[in-house]
This record gives sequence, structure tokens and C-alpha cells, in this order.
Amino acid sequence: MNRATIDGKTITAPEGHTILDAATESGIEIPTLCWYPGLSVVGNCRICLVSVDGAEKLIPACAAPIEDGMKIETRSPAAVDNRRSVLSLLLERYPTTNLDAGAEPANIFESYLADYGVKPTTANQRELPLRSGDERPDDPMIRHDMSTCILCTRCVRACEETQVVGVLDTAERGGVTQIIVGTDGDPDKASCTWCGECVRVCPTNAIFEFLPRERFGEELKATDKVARSVCPFCGVGCQIDLHAKDDTIVRVTSPAPTEITPNDGSTCVKGRFGYDFTSHEDRLNKPLIRKGWEKENDRWEWRGGTDSLRRTGPWQTIEGEGATMKPAAPPRRQGKRLKDLPLLERTAEVSANRVATPIDWYEPFREATWEEAFELTAQELTRIHEDDGPDGLAVFASAKCTNEENYLLQRLFRARFGTNNIDHCTRMCHATSVSAMSDTLATAAASGSMREVEHASDVIFIAGANTAETHPVFGAALKRAHERGAKLVVADPRKVELAARADVHLQMTPGTDVALFNGMLNHVFAMQLEDTDFITKRVKNIDAIRQSVEPYTPERASAITGIPAELIREAAEIYAGGPNTSTLWAMGLTQHLRGHDMVISLLNLILCCGMIGRWGAAMMPVRGQNNVQGASDMGAIPFVYPDYQPVADPANREKFSRAWGVDPETMSLTPGMKVTEIAKKGSPVRALYIMGENPIISDPDIARAEEWFSKVDFLAVQDLFLTETARYADVVLPGAAFSEKSGTYVNTERRIQVTEKAVNPPGEALADWEIVTEISKRCGLESPFESPDEIMEEINSLAPSWTGVSYERLKGAGLQYPVPAMDHPGTSFLFPETFPTDDGLANLHPVEYAPPDELPDDEFPYVMSTGRQLYHWHTGTMTRRSAGLDQREPTPTIEINPEDAAELGVKDGDLVKVTSKRNSIVISTRTSFRVAPKQVFVPFHFREAAANLLTNPVLESHAKMPELKITAVRIEPV
Amino acid sequence: MGYPHKSDPKENVVLSEYFGDAGARTYDGWVERGGYKALKTALGMEPNAVTDIVKQSGLRGRGGAGFPTGLKWSFMPKEKTRAHYLCCNADESEPGTFKDREIMRWTPHALIEGCAIGQYAIGAEVCYIYIRGEFTEPIKVMQAALDAAYANGVLGDNAMGSGKKLDMYIHRGAGAYICGEETALMNSIEGRRGNPRIKPPFPAAAGLFGMPTTINNVETLAAVPHIINRGAEWYSGLSLASEKSSGTKLLSVCGNVRKPGNYEVTMGFPLKELIYDLCGGMPEGRTLKAVIPGGSSVPILTREEAEGCILDYEGCVAAGTMLGSGGVIVFDDSVDMVYQIMRLAKFYAHESCAQCTQCREGTAWTVRILERILAGKGTQDDIDLLLDLADQMTGKTICVLSDSCAVPVVSGITKFRDEFDAYISGAREPVLTHG
Ligand SMILES: Cc1cc2nc3c(=O)[nH]c(=O)nc-3n(C[C@H](O)[C@H](O)[C@H](O)COP(=O)(O)O)c2cc1C
Ligand code: SF4
Ligand code: SF4
Ligand code: FES
Repeated sequence: MNRATIDGKTITAPEGHTILDAATESGIEIPTLCWYPGLSVVGNCRICLVSVDGAEKLIPACAAPIEDGMKIETRSPAAVDNRRSVLSLLLERYPTTNLDAGAEPANIFESYLADYGVKPTTANQRELPLRSGDERPDDPMIRHDMSTCILCTRCVRACEETQVVGVLDTAERGGVTQIIVGTDGDPDKASCTWCGECVRVCPTNAIFEFLPRERFGEELKATDKVARSVCPFCGVGCQIDLHAKDDTIVRVTSPAPTEITPNDGSTCVKGRFGYDFTSHEDRLNKPLIRKGWEKENDRWEWRGGTDSLRRTGPWQTIEGEGATMKPAAPPRRQGKRLKDLPLLERTAEVSANRVATPIDWYEPFREATWEEAFELTAQELTRIHEDDGPDGLAVFASAKCTNEENYLLQRLFRARFGTNNIDHCTRMCHATSVSAMSDTLATAAASGSMREVEHASDVIFIAGANTAETHPVFGAALKRAHERGAKLVVADPRKVELAARADVHLQMTPGTDVALFNGMLNHVFAMQLEDTDFITKRVKNIDAIRQSVEPYTPERASAITGIPAELIREAAEIYAGGPNTSTLWAMGLTQHLRGHDMVISLLNLILCCGMIGRWGAAMMPVRGQNNVQGASDMGAIPFVYPDYQPVADPANREKFSRAWGVDPETMSLTPGMKVTEIAKKGSPVRALYIMGENPIISDPDIARAEEWFSKVDFLAVQDLFLTETARYADVVLPGAAFSEKSGTYVNTERRIQVTEKAVNPPGEALADWEIVTEISKRCGLESPFESPDEIMEEINSLAPSWTGVSYERLKGAGLQYPVPAMDHPGTSFLFPETFPTDDGLANLHPVEYAPPDELPDDEFPYVMSTGRQLYHWHTGTMTRRSAGLDQREPTPTIEINPEDAAELGVKDGDLVKVTSKRNSIVISTRTSFRVAPKQVFVPFHFREAAANLLTNPVLESHAKMPELKITAVRIEPV
Repeated sequence: MGYPHKSDPKENVVLSEYFGDAGARTYDGWVERGGYKALKTALGMEPNAVTDIVKQSGLRGRGGAGFPTGLKWSFMPKEKTRAHYLCCNADESEPGTFKDREIMRWTPHALIEGCAIGQYAIGAEVCYIYIRGEFTEPIKVMQAALDAAYANGVLGDNAMGSGKKLDMYIHRGAGAYICGEETALMNSIEGRRGNPRIKPPFPAAAGLFGMPTTINNVETLAAVPHIINRGAEWYSGLSLASEKSSGTKLLSVCGNVRKPGNYEVTMGFPLKELIYDLCGGMPEGRTLKAVIPGGSSVPILTREEAEGCILDYEGCVAAGTMLGSGGVIVFDDSVDMVYQIMRLAKFYAHESCAQCTQCREGTAWTVRILERILAGKGTQDDIDLLLDLADQMTGKTICVLSDSCAVPVVSGITKFRDEFDAYISGAREPVLTHG
């Protein structure tokens, strides 16, 4: 501790704290421009200089450490003079329009001008030109007005240090120094990810979000509400601030980096710019009822067409659209002036028709009152329940809805209808992880935190996760970890960004992960690198594992995976060497016929090397959606009640039935059906209730799914838009977007976070919990909830890991469960001593490699994998209605290795026909070295070339996960 | 030697002995002339003992600041836990300075030997010689000498059979004056933008690649072998005036003298003798008006001040200026001081790395005002503005480039005010049309 005085006040500051830190701490404000929390200190603006007794010169407060005995004057005449000087020098080349008009200061720089009474020199004395720099002409999201740039270089540092991208730089020297975008002004070529970190840090709005300014102009300055929320996209769960004006979200900003948030104040492009879907004209604002439902004698009767005609409309099926010719993708690399290229005209034209819900889609429906919609829904659910029994009903909960909403929905179907046919899209996502982790560790979530991976891991092993694109904020943290010196080992068939920068990239033949992990473990044992202490104390069945990996020598693993044996050895040594290794995986591992086995073999590796249960050694299945963890935690899966309490255990049934006020006998002890079994030929389900999911686009083999949906007896869909699935519905219930309700979400590190409502839902749309509460009541289930926090009170009384959760406590950083008591601080990492299995030990299961279901052959020579892109989200309902995101990635494309493209005679933008055993789609080519030869990648966001028309509905046996990652296809130019 | 002129008896030729002697450039030629003996001697000593000799010699940095070299070396950590580096600053871009160029052109091995001794003394296995990019010929000569030094086992894993590893690389600059500033130079070697870094940390704590680093000027390092060969006492005895300044100094004289060039004199030599005797005085019919004695970054001297100035660190300070890099710029009575000052300011404005507000904006603004005055549009307020700007630009920035720009402006206005007034009052015809 150093003692010093600042402006006469005695302070103590720990070693290494700067004068600025100490001053801020004791409430003394020192102006800063170039300094920004978390960025490197460059001390270039020179506004923070202060007087220090005995020092010859003024000292930069932001850079100079406090020394013992220092006497600091922050407002000495010399310091204040210098501040005025800096401000007037900067002002000399800064546009004075706003100041001349006497308007409120537009930014922190203008505020300082006002504080220090610095006025512009008169216009005729101003001889120096305004500053300039690279603008981003016609950019859909980020624009520059470099005349207001004060060259603080915060943007350059944020891009390089926080996002580890390095698009921006300082060019030239002297008076013509300027901020540039890449070497030629093209953000695309410079690998810009449009995250907007530069927008966030710029002190003068020289770099700004284009869309809000364009749409809301002056109004932006006077927003009437700011609400803290959680980004509605991926599982990182970034906290964001929604700024509203007249009940519309006009801007999104992220919290200060000094606050504790999972995102440390960053966002990706979707979080910052992908909010306008909430005010898209397609939003449903009234319930819809399919024409043909009529009310007679107090009962609703179907009087419309029968059989195959019943659920159609004047639209093309997804299958039909897939095969249709469509506009080719615009070129990606735009060159300096986007304007010179036809991109925007082309996309504007295309997107007008494509993104909006076609008017025809509404044709089979009529607008209805809530009374009608509730009545019809309750009547039909009850009727089919009576006719077919509990298992005639099923419900799809939602990884996009809040915990409270998912809780209520499973409560309704379990308590009132006695069925466990409750599932959600986790089935397509981490179901195999959950089954594997349950078998081995009796757990269903990540053991650690993102923060420890960033700061405390020495080795980061990523298997089948394109984190930089699918969880960009976490991806950036991983890149920062790599920059700090952590080793990065990536197992992925594609050379995605993190794979390209990894110390070791294990580029395997798709579907051979078990052989790889067994091979790595074989080498670990051969070199005696396993953690024998951990093995002795914490795992069972080690001999079986030793035996089972014995045949998987690196050479044999190499023969199966196509990875050089040397690399497998190197990766194994790095992995086991740690000392702290974190293990991340996602869909690349789970969406396989052998997904469960793949995760099991990875868990074997983790456990034999002892890489779990310490800060820095995290086991992280990276969750895809903002509340996929929470929906599972809330029991929106077929075999457990909230907090993973098995439905098969009568004691659990007793407990929940009592809480829900029903006879235990009416509740089922049998685990229910899974998403992939429900919407399948021969399934007993006749009535389906869907809350915020779009299975028609996300299910494998869409044509079969469409067929099933067209035959179901009753379908109710609760959504923001008339989705591809909703167009089959009998009743469409307009729900609320994330910004229009409050509630809680759980991110990928078990962090429960609460959101605040920012605006009202459009028209008559209701919060989803309100809809479910009302339907529950109408179906006869007591549901006395007036607000989400009341629902949370019921949840924490039933979920032991959530006992200590309350809305009050969730404010701020949120809480990582388990939170077993009101005074418990939450749990940042799990399993320091035992696992939650019966005996506290991990159960190792030997697994053998087996090939995927569909292997390429002469007829279908390519292996297609599917997945996500940076700019889009799942079935595209939200992101394709966000103007900025949509302009970045307006059309469906297939990634093809240039070698293959040459062989096929196609180039970028050319349409090709892709055919699997099941179906075909027509889609634009995008050549890319990211895919290996004979492999292709198709994103699944696009209804007009839906990847899932082609995918294989074969199911993994434990978790019933389809093999979405491997489809054998043929490609032909069209 | 007054290269390219014949040596004057008043010179004290040590570093420049072989200027003009192409034979000294080769390895064999250098060894014949007594080369690499000093390195051999040094390698047989304790590193600390080498540093001590340099300390005792009184050698001070010839790059501009005159910091005692031995003391600088002693700042390096004694316990070597990380890589140490030596950087040789051969970026010589200060207007009016061209001595390092000649050292490299004629006696490349002297520099290599000096670097190697320095490396050994501070425990640096690697030395980077950062040469100004425009110095195409010196770079070629240096590279050839470096290759020869490696070929003859002077450098490499077993330098001169000592078992010590000494590696040396030439790094070419790309034309930025600011890269001569020591921390900008390190950034440049690291492949970053050549911006000076905030200090502390000082290079001896965290320099090149974040490791302990010493940086010295070419002339400084080239003097080291002589000190090792001939002893600290010999060197410290080379002093005509203040005993705090010892050794010889290469002075690059340019401007209005009959015989411009490099002259090597003992510390304490009178500036007057340099100009009138060694350089042959003013051109026909001209008289001395002003001198900048230490490269463009030091205050301008009037004729009277110059004629009384003693050329060593203390003597220059006594005359109100600094010895700096030893680039002597001489102006005769035909020179327009306002114009010259504008040209100097323009140089700094162009070369500012542009990090610091005061420097980036201050230098550019200063130039605009001086141009305005030269265009006949100046006012007396402009003079105040210039002085005010100079004050804002002094002592507040990351490096001293900003101060350097202010120095000639302030000394110029103070000492040649009448010339400014003449432009402002209209007594003098404008020389610029824009402004
Ligand atoms: C703007 C600027 C430019 C400089 N250029 C040079 C240069 O070209 N050569 C040089 O030796 N020193 C130059 N210096 C001085 C160096 O920063 C440093 O003080 C010197 O290299 C130290 O070596 P010495 O102790 O041997 O003099 C410059 C300093 C500044 C501020
Ligand atoms: S654009 Fe903004 S953040 Fe970047 S240097 Fe200029 S003022 Fe600073
Ligand atoms: S004073 Fe000038 S040259 Fe030196 S660091 Fe600052 S801006 Fe760069
Ligand atoms: S805030 Fe300290 S120099 Fe810019």
C-alpha cells in the first residue's frame, strides 16, 4: 500500500494503482479521453496531466503509478491550463456546428469543453482542415464521421485488444494522421465482424451505429427509458442496455466494462445491431385463428376443408422453395466503395420480398380476440386429452423464452394433462452432452465459468465448436486468452477462425471424434501423463478405459481421423500437460449418430487428465441459445422436473403434485417423448402446443416434418411472427419479445440473469408467461401468478439449486447456480471434491469408434455439415428481420473448397443443386478454404434453401439427437 | 579528420582516423589497423569490469541527450533472468547531422566491435542495429562487414572463441524521424507503429519485446573499442574545458561555411575556431548571423553567443543551448530566419508521430501561423500565439519531439524578433503566396 495525497486528501493505494485509479476511487474526477477501462494505457491525449510535488513536468494520471508520499494536485493552475490547451488544440480541427448552436454537449469531449469554458476560435481564424479518416460509406451498421475524431485510438485498441481482430489502425503521421479501416478501407477484407466495439469506445461518436441514427435521427438524443436486458441470441448471455423512445427500442448499448457482466461490456454484431426485429412490421399483434373454426352452441367446431387441404395455404412448401431458382448471393469482398457495387440495390430488392412474411401466408387465418383464442386452445387441448389420454398431447417449450415461461408450460402439461411429452430444441443441440454428462457425472451443465477460461486456463481445448462465430463474445475472450499465452488446441473438420489461429488444429474427417479422443488418451497413458491422484480418488472403472483405448494408438487414430499421428501426440501432451486445461465443445460433437459416445470419450479424456473441478480447468459444453440451459433447468425436457429431479421417482411426483395442487396419480412416472420422436410418423401425438420454436426449419428431413405437421389434429403456436411452423397452426398466439417482458435466463455458465421490460408488446400481443398462465387457468390448473417474480418464488421453493434465487439478488451480475441458500454467493465452478453421483465418483464408460450413418459414396461424394453463421440465428426468424444483419448475409450460400468448385466448374455466386438421399436445394456457391476438399457447409438459417431438407433424421440412441452434422450429398451446377 | 577535407591539425582524429580509407572497411583491413583487439580484451574480462571502464572514461551518449554511457549500462539487471537486448541507434535523421553515416560507411567494424563489447557488458545476446532507411550505402557496407564478422567467428555462438553467444542484426528503418526516439525505435523493430512509449517503464526495465534493453548511438558505441584499447584515463583526459565532458566529438558542419563536413575535435573546442578555422569561415562577403550547434532540436545562437560558445555539454548549456547530436548548422547574413524557422517547424510537424495532442496539433498550427506571417498576413497576436503554443508544447508530451519544435520557434522569436516584425509590418515583401 502506498500513501499519498490527492488535492489535500490522504489516500492509500495498492501497488501498481495509477494516480487516476486512486483519484477515481476517492471520488476525484480527472478528465480522460484516451484512457478506457481494460484497454492498454497509451497516454496520448495528455488531458489527464496533473501536478506532482517535486516533479519537473506534469504527470499523466492515467499512466503514472502512485508512489509512496506523492503529493498530487489535480487542479493546479498548470494542470488546468494544460487541459484547456489540449481541449482548444483538439477543438481547432473539430466541427463546431453543435457548439455554435448552443446545443447540449453531444459527447464527453464537448462536455469537457463546457466544463473548462473552452470556446472555438471564430470561423475565419480556423485555418486547419477538419480531421478525416476512412469512412465506411454505405455500411449497413457502422459508419464514421471522422471530422469529429480526436485520434484517441481507443477504437484501434478496442478492435485489437478486446476483440482481437485489428481492423482499425492509425495511418500516416503528423497533421494528416488518421484512423483507417484495413489497408484499403474495406472492412470485409480486414476481417471486420461488425461487433461495434469501436462504436462503444469512441468518445466523440466519430464511429457510430448507422441504423438508429438513420431511423431515429434527433430523437435518439432524448430516449425516455433505459432497461438492462440480456441479449436474445446465444448462450453467452451478454447483458445489454435497451434504450427506448416512445415504446420503441432505438438503440442498444452494452454495460461499462467496469461492471461485472458475462460479456465484460462487449457484444457481438447480433447483440448490438440485431434488435430491430422486435419492431418489424411482421410482428403479430393479434391472435390468429385458422378460417374454418366456428363457434356453435358454445363449442368450437372445425367446418373447414378436410385431410390434406386442411392445413395448407397459398404458399410453397419449404421443399418447393428449396428447389426453386433464386437470386445468387452478392459478392462478399466489396472493395473500398461499397456504393460502386450493385450489392445494395440487389439486396434491397431481394430482401423486400424475402424477409417479410408474404401476405399470402395470412390468407388462411382470420384475426381473433384473445377470448376466442384462449377458448379454442383450452377446448381442444382438453378434448384431445379426454379422447386420447395424456400422451395424445405434447408441448415444445422454448430456449428463447424465460425460465418462468418454460416452468409454467411444463407445469401445465405435467400437472393438468399428466404428460411428460415436453421437450425443446435442446434435442438438436446439447441433448447428447446432457445424456453423456448425466451418465458419467450426474450433471447437466458446464462445470466452470467463461471468466476462468479467459484468465486462468493454460490450455484451451475446443472440440467441434466455432466459438468465434457462434458465441462471438466468448470467442473474443478465447482469443484474448490465446494472446495472453494460453495454448489453443482445436479439433474441427473446418478451418474456422479459432482453428486457423490454434497452436494445434486437429482437422479430422467428420464423425471420427471418438477415435481422436481415444487416440489422445492412449498416448496420455503411454506417456504416463494421466493424473493418477485424481484417478485414484475420483473416478471408477479406469481399468476398462485403459483397456478400451489400448488399440487406439495414435497411428490407428490417425488412420481413422485423417489427422497426422504426430499432431495427435502433440495435442495429447499439451492437453494433459495443462497444468490447467479447459475443455469446450458444442454442436460439432453433439449432432451425431454417435454424439453421446463422442462426448463420453471426451469426458474420459477430461477425467483421466484430471481437468475438472479446479479454477482454470473447466468442462464447458457451450450452450447455443440464450436460455437453452434455463429451459432444461426448468424441466422442459421429457424425463425430469425442474432442477433435474427425475419424473420416474414417485417422491418427486409427490412433491410436485402437492405444490401444483393436483392428485399425484394424475401425473405420469414415465419419461415423455422427445422433439424428434413427437413430430414423426407414427407418433401418438395429436395435439401439439409450441412456444417460440420453429421445428419446420430446424428438424431434419423437413419434407417429412411438413407432412407430419399438415396432419396433426390441433396445433397452437405462440410466436412473434407467422413462422414456417405457425403457418400450419390452428391458433397463433402473439407473444412478446425479450425486450417486452421481464424474466430470467440462464447462460452457458449457469448464470441466472434477470431482465427488465423496456417496451410494451405490439398491439394486443402478450408476454408469454401471461398467455401460458391464462391457458393454464382455462384448462383448470390453479395458476395464481401476477408477475414473473411470483413464478420465481414457486420455482425456488421446488428447485434446491435455486433456493437462494430472488429477483432482488439477481440484479447486477446475476447468480451462478447452485445457489442453495439466500446468503449463498452462487457457484463459479463445480466439483472441487466430489461429483453429484451416488458415490461421488465419476463413472467412466469405455466407448468404441463407429462410423456415421451416411458415408459418402460415388453417388453422394460430399459430406455436408450444417451450422450457424455469424450474422444469423437459427431459423432466421429474428436475424433475417434485422436490417443490418440481413444485409451482411442476405442469401443462402454453400461453402465449397475452391478445389472442388473448380472441379464442378462453379465460382462464387453460382447456383448449385445440392442433393441428398432425401431431397434437393438450389443454393449459391461460396468458395472457401475453411472447408476441406470433399466437404461442404450449409447454414440452416434460410427457408429458401433449407439445409434440413437434406439432413438425415437418423437418431442417436440415448438422446434421440439427429445426425445433423453428416449428410452425404451430391452437387451439380445449375 | 575533416572528411571529405584534409585533416586539420587542430582536430583530434580518433573515430574518423580511417574516414576515406576504403581498406578499413574489410575485415582483414580492420584487423590490420588494430581492430577487434578491444573485443578480445573485453571478452576476457568480467562484464561489470567493462562497464566500469566505460564509466570511468566519462563517455556520454552522442545521440543527443549526453547521458553517461557506463551509468546507463549499469541500469541493466545484474541477475539475468530474461533476454537482454542492445539496440544501436543508427537512425540519424536529425536535420544537420551526418556523422553516424560516415562512421558506418568507413569503419563499419568499429561499430560492430563497439556493439559487441556493449552486448557483452550488459549481457545481451542479441543486438539490433537500426539504420535509417535512406542510408542505402551505409546499410550495404554494414551488412557486408557484419557477414564478414560472422564468417570470421567474431560473432555467433562462440564469439572470438570466448564461448559467448553474440548475435547482431541490421534492421532497416522506413523513413520516419521519430523512429530515432529510443522507444519508437523498439516499437519499430517489433513491427509496430513507430510511436514513442510512455516512460516509465524505462528500457532497462522493459524495452525491446518487453525485455531489459540498452540503446546507444552509433558514435557512442564506436568510441568504446578505443576506450578499451587505450584506457579510461586516456579518454577522460581528452577534455579542453569542463571535465564532465570528455573524449572526442564528431561535429557535422553544414550551412553557410566554405568547407562543410565532419570534424572531430576534443571536447571543449571553441565553436568560433571550428567555424572560422576548420571550416574556412563564411563565404565571400558574408558575415555570421546565427548557429544551431547541436542538430535542429536545440536553441539557436546569435553570432555573439556562437562566437563565445565552447563545444562541450557544459559549454553549450552556458551559452544557452545544447550540444545535442553535434550537427552544427551555420547561417550567414543572407538567411531569412523566419523562413528557416518555418522550415524546421514544418519538419517536426511532418515527423510528429501524432500521438500527443499538443505535438500533433501544436506543430501543425505553428507551421500554419509561420506561413501566415511569411505570406504577409501575420499580426502581432500571432507572435503571442506562437509563444503560447510553444509553451503548451513544452514538457507535456510523451517524447521531446514536441519540445524540439518549440525550441527554434522560441529562440528564433526572442533573438530575431525584428525579422518577424518586418513581415508583420509589411516592411519585408511576403515570400509565400499562400498562408
Ligand atoms: C525525436 C527524437 C529523435 C531521435 N533521433 C535519434 C537518432 O536519430 N539517433 C540517435 O542516436 N538518437 C536519437 N534520439 C535520441 C535517442 O532517443 C536516445 O537518447 C539515444 O539513441 C541514446 O543513445 P546515447 O545514450 O548513446 O546517446 C532521438 C530522440 C528523439 C526524441
Ligand atoms: S474514431 Fe473515435 S475512438 Fe477512434 S480515434 Fe477517433 S475519436 Fe478515438
Ligand atoms: S511528442 Fe510528438 S512525436 Fe513524441 S510521442 Fe508525442 S506525438 Fe509522438
Ligand atoms: S487520459 Fe491520460 S493521456 Fe489520455
